[in-house]
Amino acid sequence: MAQNRRSKSILDSVGEEIIRIITPVSICMFMVVLMVCVLNTDSSDSASSSVPTIATIAYTETGSDSWWDKLKGALLNSLVFVAVITLATFLILLLFYFRCTRFLKFYMGFSAFIVLGFMGGEILLFMLEDFRIPIDCITFLVVLFNFTAVGVLAAFMSKMAIFVTQSYLVIIGVLVAYWFTLLPEWTTWMLLVALALYDLAAVLLPVGPLRLLVELAISRDEEIPALVFEARPVVVEDSVSNDNNNNTRFISTEDTELSAPLIDHRITLQLNRPEDALSSESWSLERIGLGSAGAIKLGLGDFIFYSVLVGRAAMYDLMTVYACYLAIMAGLGITLLLLALYEKALPALPVSIALGVLFYFLTRLVLEVFVVQCSLNLLMF
Amino acid sequence: MEASQSEANPNPNPNTNNNANRNSIMSSMPLWPTIDGPLGLTEEESLRYSRRFYKFGYALLPWLWAVNCFYFWPVLRHPSSFPGIRRYVISSAIGFTVFTALLCSWALTFAIGGEDLFGPVWEKLVMYNLADRLGLTASSSSLWAKEGFHYQEAFNVTILGPPVLVLLHQRFINMRSLIQSI
Repeated sequence: MAQNRRSKSILDSVGEEIIRIITPVSICMFMVVLMVCVLNTDSSDSASSSVPTIATIAYTETGSDSWWDKLKGALLNSLVFVAVITLATFLILLLFYFRCTRFLKFYMGFSAFIVLGFMGGEILLFMLEDFRIPIDCITFLVVLFNFTAVGVLAAFMSKMAIFVTQSYLVIIGVLVAYWFTLLPEWTTWMLLVALALYDLAAVLLPVGPLRLLVELAISRDEEIPALVFEARPVVVEDSVSNDNNNNTRFISTEDTELSAPLIDHRITLQLNRPEDALSSESWSLERIGLGSAGAIKLGLGDFIFYSVLVGRAAMYDLMTVYACYLAIMAGLGITLLLLALYEKALPALPVSIALGVLFYFLTRLVLEVFVVQCSLNLLMF
Repeated sequence: MEASQSEANPNPNPNTNNNANRNSIMSSMPLWPTIDGPLGLTEEESLRYSRRFYKFGYALLPWLWAVNCFYFWPVLRHPSSFPGIRRYVISSAIGFTVFTALLCSWALTFAIGGEDLFGPVWEKLVMYNLADRLGLTASSSSLWAKEGFHYQEAFNVTILGPPVLVLLHQRFINMRSLIQSI
């Protein structure tokens, strides 16, 4: 009977859990597409000096190079970038291993500050210039300062309002993704493919830095110091546990019975709360969510690269945007399915990026011709 | 009483009203002062947090006051329940409205008044001109790039690069707890 009740609540909540992770990803992609459409209407591929040069260190693409040169240049760029990311991840792994979590947390807050302050400010300036909005510098600085300060607090503090934290994470993802869409075209696509392949290695291979990071965090029962988007856990109430609701703030001995199975599963848990994760709040939370299947956590890098793919597709046409959006959502669904099957941290990029890139090129080369011909002959719009 | 109880519970349930009658002492006030309900803070922590938000808001941060009001929204809705927190949340709300009113009036005066009101100073204060002159955006003629060394690119690589890389390093999906009750 209790088993039936619990399995019923799992089925109740799994759809909502998926929606709670798909909605912010979709919002992020939508905002990047919007910004790309609004801000890039005039310049096509002018390499401005705010192009993220760390990714074009090896080779700067110019419009007049041959096809083969562009390919080689893009490959070189993406290899350099993947190497730099590997270095950064290993550095973070090292710092985490030596328990410099305070420094890591501080650096996360610092990077949130940099992204929100400088990149956000720059993008706001783009918009002000494009639309000629007559804001004076004092108002602008106050607004930007407010926005950045609260964002840094949301990144630092683990106990900020969930909605505020989630919105700021999505905004950070949007800003970085927009910045990445300023890269030259071939480099972007090659970079996405290279990162998807690298992800497969980094998360699944035993020597992969991301896998080592996850295992270290699990073995120490700490959270990885990173900006991770955690969907709000679904709180499912059984009518049986009604009078428990009134006692939710008090930890009764019932706790230990219900949390005993949780202790076994803590090996596969990734506790998102900070080092005082065993505090009373999280236990009462686990108790309330009697049937909750837990919160899905998606790394911010995934948000960013999904949005980069869709943003780059938006630079061609909206038809590719629709195709790539559907492909990425399908990939995310497949990844969630695999996550439910394998119950360990999985790379979220490879399936979605593979499908996305495939659909982009198929749409651009095959579907577009078809649709244009249909429209021209008034067959289908 | 019952009405406030059913509002305060995260998932209103017809059974809770019956329970509320029985446990009227316990259920006479909403349990959670934050908008996140059981996922949020306890009452003692809420007091500390709201006080800290209130004090930090004086550093020209009306948005923090607004977030304070948003976060402790149940405190505003049920004024009798959390007297300590209520003081700070109400002050934050007042501070936010006052500051926003001042800022909006200044911004609107600036935007609508334009050059007629301010004279040549308007051109100097407008943000897009300022951005042009300081070379903050790439499309403008950057006075930095006039020298041989491209400060903008160096800035991009050294200051912007590492934080972005740090943000990118986590690229996997995971679940906090998984189907433990099956």
